[in-house]
Amino acid sequence: MSVLLEVRDLAKRFATRAGREPSPWIIQGLSFSVNEGEFLTIIGPSGGGKTTLLNMIAQIDAASGGEIRFQSQLAPINDMKSLKPGLNCQIGYVTQEDNLLPWRTCLENVLFPLLVQGKLNDETRARAQTLIRAVGLAGWEDHYPHELSGGMRKRTSLIRTLVYDPPVILMDEPFGALDAQTRLQLQDDLMRLWNLGKKTIVFVTHDISEAIALGDRTLVLTRQPSSVAGEHRITIPRPRDIRGILTHPEFIELYQRIRAQVQ
Amino acid sequence: MATLKSAGGPSVGVFDAGRFTAKLYSHRDHILVLIALLAIWHGLSLLLGVYWVGTPWGVAVRLYSGLLSGELLRHASYTFSEAMIGFVIGGIPAAILPFLLRRQPILTAILDPFMVGGYGSPKLALAPLFILWFGIGIESKIALVAFTVFFIVYFATQTGVRTLDPKLVQMAQVAGASESYVARHIIFPGAVPHIFTGFRIAMPYSIGGAVVAELISANRGLGYMIQLRSMNFDTTGVFVALTAVCIIVFITNWIVNFVEKRLLRWRPPSDVTAQKE
Ligand SMILES: Nc1ncnc2c1ncn2[C@@H]1O[C@H](COP(=O)(O)OP(=O)(O)OP(=O)(O)O)[C@@H](O)[C@H]1O
Ligand SMILES: [Mg+2]
Repeated sequence: MSVLLEVRDLAKRFATRAGREPSPWIIQGLSFSVNEGEFLTIIGPSGGGKTTLLNMIAQIDAASGGEIRFQSQLAPINDMKSLKPGLNCQIGYVTQEDNLLPWRTCLENVLFPLLVQGKLNDETRARAQTLIRAVGLAGWEDHYPHELSGGMRKRTSLIRTLVYDPPVILMDEPFGALDAQTRLQLQDDLMRLWNLGKKTIVFVTHDISEAIALGDRTLVLTRQPSSVAGEHRITIPRPRDIRGILTHPEFIELYQRIRAQVQ
Repeated sequence: MATLKSAGGPSVGVFDAGRFTAKLYSHRDHILVLIALLAIWHGLSLLLGVYWVGTPWGVAVRLYSGLLSGELLRHASYTFSEAMIGFVIGGIPAAILPFLLRRQPILTAILDPFMVGGYGSPKLALAPLFILWFGIGIESKIALVAFTVFFIVYFATQTGVRTLDPKLVQMAQVAGASESYVARHIIFPGAVPHIFTGFRIAMPYSIGGAVVAELISANRGLGYMIQLRSMNFDTTGVFVALTAVCIIVFITNWIVNFVEKRLLRWRPPSDVTAQKE
């Protein structure tokens, strides 16, 4: 498998605000790579810089040092102006907050990327409808974001990225705000989707079980300034049964090892 | 919506009594305050003399006869057109400029003190200047109104452009939106509520600006009417003109609210009165 994304010796600090202490390094000496078609899960403490990391990979924020290489193209360092957010729709990003447009309905929000990219046609519309049904939003298409629950908004924002089928998807705790049942369902759906299309997914979560159940590999990050604390290859065979995996011997062993590493 | 409601209701007719009383009931407080104000006014006229403050009834009669003769409407429509033309000339560029300046921080910084100055300048003191420059015709009134409206709408729109969540912009960029697409489909709709706040605040000022300019120098309009009648010690006549000004303000305010409600259906109701409907 070829390396698709490579992060080497990455460092990030935010600009110091006037009259404050110099701002701390959020990320320092962070290195890892992601192969094409890989499902990488990332676990780390809250405030550790996971969202910041994804922002830099998606190029909506610039790194302060080190390298981010995507398909052997370097991302600009310390230069907000030359960033290319989403790298021409090659990287989709399901952000931690839903970031729905409040003046568009649920359906219009889902169709938004298709509209932007000029890809709105009968086929993609049908795809959007399928996704809406899959995440249980059927019947809510005409509701505005403020009329949806937090979890429903989260699901809307999830399928807004899935609908245009970018080859790489970054996900920042996409299932955090959901009940156990819906969560399992969506994890299942995501697994199926990934098995079909062989996408590359970088998936941030707080939940060790989720990280093991979904991933080919789990990266554990340290506290601030964050770097890689540990890396775990997950060889539990696919297709996996998300519900039954909790008793798999490899799962139990991995769980113990990762928990010891998560500070 | 309205037809659906009445069709389902018990009384379907030309005059829906139930709806009418419901409407009256919802305006009960307005009516009570109005009656109280009229009573105080009447009391004052007894106390101070009709000569100084007129009476509500006297004003009503004069308002009616003024309407019948067409004189009041002629002056009112004159003032109204000044206000509306000025509103458009000042308001539209003011609602566009902040979008053009969004990516020009240096230019914005250069312009800012002048904008603040223009916003704070006393419009009453400017009226004679405008009359000097544009003559005593409709042009000077339109200029004053446009000048007043411009700064109010400019700052309201600027607030809208600045307070938009940058994460929405980033989301759109990641989805592939170009700079101009973001401006049209993210920044603009996000700023519309603020633009309307500007419009709503500026609308009464546009009527006020037109009246003030007419007070200073004109041969037509409600301001001219007030000026002329006060010189003739016609207190009741002044009140008639003032009432007409108020009515125009009510109507224009209603129009702005109506258009706003239409355009901003996506917004959650933010206050109790909005939820009542
Ligand atoms: N725009 C910003 N300016 C300054 N500091 C920031 C900014 N964004 C994030 N930070 C800081 O960076 C650190 C990491 O934030 P980040 O959002 O990446 O954490 P996270 O790992 O995603 O946490 P969580 O799991 O709670 O979402 C925090 O200490 C935060 O205060
Ligand atoms: Mg985060």
